[in-house]
Amino acid sequence: MYFVIGDYMAGMFIGALTALGVRAAVWLGMDMVIAMLLGMVIGMAIHLVLGLVLSPWLGMFETMIPASVIGMYGGMFFGMRDAMAAGSPTLTAAATVGMLFGALVVLGIKVYDRALRGAVVDAGD
Amino acid sequence: MDTETQRKWDEASRTFDWFTFADDHRLGPHKRRLFSKIRGATLMVAAGTGNDFKFFPPGQHITAIDISPKMLERAAQKAAAYQGTIELRVMDVCALPFPDASFDTIVTVCTFCSVPKPVAGLRELYRVLKPDGQLLMFEHVRSKIGPFGIFLDLMTPLSRRLGPDLNRDTVGNVQKAGFRLRREENVYLDIVKIIEAVKG
Repeated sequence: MYFVIGDYMAGMFIGALTALGVRAAVWLGMDMVIAMLLGMVIGMAIHLVLGLVLSPWLGMFETMIPASVIGMYGGMFFGMRDAMAAGSPTLTAAATVGMLFGALVVLGIKVYDRALRGAVVDAGD
Repeated sequence: MDTETQRKWDEASRTFDWFTFADDHRLGPHKRRLFSKIRGATLMVAAGTGNDFKFFPPGQHITAIDISPKMLERAAQKAAAYQGTIELRVMDVCALPFPDASFDTIVTVCTFCSVPKPVAGLRELYRVLKPDGQLLMFEHVRSKIGPFGIFLDLMTPLSRRLGPDLNRDTVGNVQKAGFRLRREENVYLDIVKIIEAVKG
């Protein structure tokens, strides 16, 4: 249970920080491609630092993989969203969307992991 | 002896145990299940600081090697606590001093992400394994899932400086070295795997 809660907390934390980091760097009307790329870079940087800090408590790959998806794709989404002011007018709203995104990514990866787990090859001897 | 690799892992030995707390708890039961298949004379490659000794079934005689003397210094206490015999030796997996067909079982844990010439190392394991011997591996590999695989490729130049590569095709390398795959099992996504192989 510690790890399940920890995974979701870490995902939500990384999502919120990515959303706030992107909000700080992207302004309304910024070229959307640049906003997307900038968001991705910010998200990747945040995920790298937090992934390293959190992995001793949650496991290297169980932290790194969701964090990379949240940082990379979340950063891109948040960047585009902020460039056209599409929702989340306040910082609290932006952080909440980030947390929600983080939790959804963690859930999605857990479901995917369940589906993939088990024998791929079993020659049986 | 590959002194560059040795130096890297000597450095890593200082913080190695710090990073294994969660992995021990999350992955430990899978390792214990894999190691329950150990039989006969056993070689453990890249023992590190000995964190995985506690997952070995009791009563075995195991030769545990690592390229890093500093890692093995830390492993000595854990080896002494094991209810069996663990003999620690500094050794490069690509140049093993054992005669052909010396071992019934060879065990690796997150080893072939770090060996600079993985196929050469695996061929050396093939040589020292008995004809009816088994190779039991717990390894992380490159994901075949698009975004995860690309991410692991992007991260590898950075991770390689501190420790392992993240994008190795270890299942393919095992087969390239001549082994026949007996079992491949996903433990986390398609990244952390149990790989069991026998002489082809």
